[in-house]
Amino acid sequence: MKKLVIGAFLAAFMLPISSKAQKKSSISAKQLFGDMRARHIGPALMSGRINDLEVHPTNDRIIYAGTAGGGVWKSNDGGTTFNPIFDDYCQSIGAVELDPNDPDNTIYVGTGETWTRNSVSVGDGLYKSTDGGANWTKLGFDKSERIANIIVNPKNSKEIYVGVLGALWGDSEVRGVYKSVDGGTTWEKILYTDQRTGCADLAMDPKDPNTLYASMWEFRRTGWSFESGGEKSALYKSTDGGKTWNKIHNGFPEGRLGRLAIAVAETNPNILYTVIEAEKQERKGLYRSDDAGATWKQLNNDFGITVRPFYFSRIVIDPKNADVVVKGGLSGSISRDGGKTFKNLGNMHSDIHDIAFDIHNSDRMYAGTDGGVYRSWNGGTTMEIVENLPLSQFYHISVDDAEPYNIYGGLQDNGSWYGPSSSAGGINASDWNSIGGGDGFRVLKHPTKNIIYSEMQGAENVWRYDVDNKRVKTVQPLPQKGTPKLRFNWNAPMAISQHQPDRFYMGSQFLHVSEDMGNTWKIISPDLTTNDPEKQQQENSGGLSMDNSGAENHTTIFTITESPLDEKVIWVGTDDGNVQVTQDGGQTWTNTSMNIPDLPKNTWTYHIEASSFDKGTAYAVFDGHTMNDMKPYAYKTTDYGKTWKNIISDDVVGFVRNIQEDYVNPNLLFLGTEFGLYITLDGGEKWFKFTNNMPSVAVHFIDLQKKTNDLVMGTHGRGVIILDDISPLRELSNEVMAKKVHFFKSKPTIIWEEGGFSGGFGGETEFVGANPSRAAQIKYFLKKRHTFGKMIMQIQDMNGNVISTLSPGKSKGINVVNWGYTMKQPKVAKGKTFSFGGFTAPKVPAGTYKVVLKKGRDTYEHTFEVVYDPKSSLTSADRKFKHDTTMKMYDMTQELAYMVYELDAILEEATKLKKKKLVKGLNALKETLVITTGDNYVGSAEPQLREKMADLYSKIASGYDKPSNAELESLSIIEDRFANAKKEYQKLKKKARFKDKLSLKTFEEFLK
Amino acid sequence: MKKILLFIIAAVASISIQGQTADEIIATYFENIGGLENLKKVKGIKMTAEVNQQGMKIPIEIYQMADGRQMTVVNFQGKQIKQGVYDGKDLWSINFMTMQAEKSDAEATANFKLDTNDFPDPFVDYKSKGYKVELMGKETMDGAETFKIKLTKEPITVDGKKEESVSFYFFDTENFVPIAVQSEIKSGPAKGMVSQSTMSDYDEVNGLYFPFSMTQGVKGQPGTPITIKKIELNPTVDDKEFAFPEDKK
Repeated sequence: MKKLVIGAFLAAFMLPISSKAQKKSSISAKQLFGDMRARHIGPALMSGRINDLEVHPTNDRIIYAGTAGGGVWKSNDGGTTFNPIFDDYCQSIGAVELDPNDPDNTIYVGTGETWTRNSVSVGDGLYKSTDGGANWTKLGFDKSERIANIIVNPKNSKEIYVGVLGALWGDSEVRGVYKSVDGGTTWEKILYTDQRTGCADLAMDPKDPNTLYASMWEFRRTGWSFESGGEKSALYKSTDGGKTWNKIHNGFPEGRLGRLAIAVAETNPNILYTVIEAEKQERKGLYRSDDAGATWKQLNNDFGITVRPFYFSRIVIDPKNADVVVKGGLSGSISRDGGKTFKNLGNMHSDIHDIAFDIHNSDRMYAGTDGGVYRSWNGGTTMEIVENLPLSQFYHISVDDAEPYNIYGGLQDNGSWYGPSSSAGGINASDWNSIGGGDGFRVLKHPTKNIIYSEMQGAENVWRYDVDNKRVKTVQPLPQKGTPKLRFNWNAPMAISQHQPDRFYMGSQFLHVSEDMGNTWKIISPDLTTNDPEKQQQENSGGLSMDNSGAENHTTIFTITESPLDEKVIWVGTDDGNVQVTQDGGQTWTNTSMNIPDLPKNTWTYHIEASSFDKGTAYAVFDGHTMNDMKPYAYKTTDYGKTWKNIISDDVVGFVRNIQEDYVNPNLLFLGTEFGLYITLDGGEKWFKFTNNMPSVAVHFIDLQKKTNDLVMGTHGRGVIILDDISPLRELSNEVMAKKVHFFKSKPTIIWEEGGFSGGFGGETEFVGANPSRAAQIKYFLKKRHTFGKMIMQIQDMNGNVISTLSPGKSKGINVVNWGYTMKQPKVAKGKTFSFGGFTAPKVPAGTYKVVLKKGRDTYEHTFEVVYDPKSSLTSADRKFKHDTTMKMYDMTQELAYMVYELDAILEEATKLKKKKLVKGLNALKETLVITTGDNYVGSAEPQLREKMADLYSKIASGYDKPSNAELESLSIIEDRFANAKKEYQKLKKKARFKDKLSLKTFEEFLK
Repeated sequence: MKKILLFIIAAVASISIQGQTADEIIATYFENIGGLENLKKVKGIKMTAEVNQQGMKIPIEIYQMADGRQMTVVNFQGKQIKQGVYDGKDLWSINFMTMQAEKSDAEATANFKLDTNDFPDPFVDYKSKGYKVELMGKETMDGAETFKIKLTKEPITVDGKKEESVSFYFFDTENFVPIAVQSEIKSGPAKGMVSQSTMSDYDEVNGLYFPFSMTQGVKGQPGTPITIKKIELNPTVDDKEFAFPEDKK
């Protein structure tokens, strides 16, 4: 005890010193946001792209999925369900590897996906866990961007090889094969070609850890092109642990090579397979060596083997049979004759990136696709999807103003969807509605009509969907006489007007506007891009394998925003760096990009947010990653772009995709970056990274729902994530944070009366998104975490009567305490079984209540309001009648409880005193009051007065309606029966003359 | 002069905190809550508590005895329903449907037995129990700075396979008491998720400090609060209370 005081004493003196040392950054995000937690709603039904699968070498229950944008997930039930284990770090994963010598504990994760499509994210290095994924340390490789392989020597855990593919968008020396001999502390680069050529695949001879194979790939992407292949691409072999390497090309196609894969058979290390991207179509495909790479023979060049090598090049050999080989691809291909012939894998989502065989039974297979993980039980013929991987990759989201509001958005390779922000039993797969095919991007709800706009890549189709009549019309702008070919971005921008509900904007290189929901279009701008012809050669894109999917379309408009304050003010941002503004509805345009300080030329304008406070004010964010520039850029103008001010601080890591301004506090801004959500309270002087249940996932788009103040994020890898009610952040200031306790203002809470049925089928293995809380939420800021001494919270009515006591949150920062706006449940008579109706607590009447927080010697108070649902048809007289009836039955229930308590005590004593007649009488009465036999399930006895009373009480208390005539009649029967029982009891009680000696509790004592 | 002295004390304190080892943190923790020797003298604890869900309350009583026996008594409508009772041999609970005692499965019982040497605190004599502790560094928990200590206990068995039993304790750097515990959930519907408990409202009971407020739940989601109203040390409990009912044997 004494020691404790001294300890606290010392600590108290220590604090001022340390706080002096760090005067400026006084509070961190983890000390600020407290109980504010993000809510994940998926969807998981279409899941998302998987980059790498890894099975445990000895335990077939354990499997890992390294995902393209959603982190690392672990299954410990053979792939039935998965859990995320890497949320605090970069979510774009290249490779997951278990140390074969310690597979339960030691895991390596190489970040940065390796299937280098246009929309890939970036990695930030290599990580290691020595406790099965609970904690991670970084082993460097910060600039590696993409790690393709990690291999631990199965005979020596200290020896690790890492294949680094490296930067996609520019030169980098962090590429090639690296080796560590000290468990990852130091690294030596053991194979390097040049700044354009990285390691695309790495394999180790399963019998001889000194024999390694490495495929090197020359590749490069820009915002407008992709190039695969060159003189430097090659397949190498080392037999001395990576000291020396030799090309093994005997039998390879002549000329330049592209992406190569390599696999070594576990059953016979002389058997190798490679897939080769070559100059000539007929020389591409699968090659096999039966002499450990000395010679190669081409076996197959079917479409399934040669398709899009940059996207699909994985080869996996059955660990039990070297002649069974599987190749990733559009559908995935399997050969059972050593690679001569192939058939497609069974139906599943297209684009198969990795395959894993079960360690014991090769009929059990796993496949990683653009749409999640699939399992097979029959060697890849029938595939079933894993239903709890919410990895959906949104490009864009928007919300409507319905109650509950819906979220609309488009997904990488998974179409467009909308779904509710809450749903009975949680938000599950069946709550989501398909609203577009192909790759989905922007999806917008018409502001007043039940019409949704959606699109597919390059605005090849823009759909206008009449939801009520289920009619679809394509409405994209079509070529017009006298205008050049339209250039639409892969992710083509669309916008609706807040001023004219039928107005609809689309951007090509021009701004198109329609006043009739897309039926007729007018161009209202000149070419707003740089129109650089060098960046318009997409038909030549791909390198050795042509790849003109539209994904590289460039010099296009990317973002359109009409000012919410003035429909004539429109902002347009282009993918080649222009920020254009018109103040006269498109008659004149000004390019403001040259006014932006310290922004590299042509940096992609990713989003412009027109302020809702001032029409000359806007925010613009820029993404330079396609020019190999990973820095964050965000600017603000208050003069229509004449001047721009940097609003990024050193706190922000990762390039920026989106910014959202609060509607109430102009200094409260939300920033979506490649590595998560950042929040500023002071207009960008300091940014806090929000990490409460919020992974470091790429946030592509943010919207703020006006009625609920919910911040809704479209992430590219973890679906839709919602931060419910951000309103407390509006009040946070230095003054507030200096107070010991500060209660935040809150909107009146609606007493929730909706019910319904949720089915709930499939919830065992299916992802179900969380619903928002319906409780009255008491929110307050604590200056310091409460650890010692009492801290209690009461809800009182305005007369000071205690209605409820709650457990307050103790965190430093924001605390959220939920109150179900109920009083205590009634005290129920003791019977043999439960009276289920008696578990109902009555809701309080609408009104103003007081929260009283007692902390140590101090008391803090705050008032708040709960209101009835405005949609309810009950009058205030109905409400009063319902409440009075409920409370009448509540009191009756407690009165009966006390009677049974007394009766039990008398009965016990009477039994002791052997008063047979009295005992008989009491028992006979008791049997009519409460259930005295049976159980709580099908052995239940006939309900008695207690059960009837409590069930009716519960029915009325929990109903949304006023008590019905049927209910009131039932009540009157119960009242009569209770009155008779009371009479009977009084008679018996009189006979028990010994009762005064029993020292029974009073009614008030009994209720406590 | 006085000021300088205080400054020196503070500086020394801050140095020692920077160089803390897990052993020192645990030793300070026991010192601060009343001393290891006093703690080891405790023969049993009875906690009278309430589970509080948004104002809906369920009264419970928790008994923990030095010999490993345990019991939680839940009070529903005046009925005492025992859950998680361990009598030194069997782990059992009352079935809510039949209100009859039922034994837990053999694996759960075996795993439970492994924890019976953890009274009153798993860190007491952890070395002689074969446990391992490791200081993982500092982490912010509930907005407070904490030392994160990894505790590895005897391996448990999960669906027939041996697995490590690891939990992470977060000791407040100011008072050196744990304010949170996390561990991976190994079986059941939440398998693979991370459980999290938090502790606060430490208060004195006969010279020893105990948390009087806790939450239990899954990391990243709001926990279920448990408010302890009273803690009784060395309570007298009839052995029969723990025993698996004879008529069910």
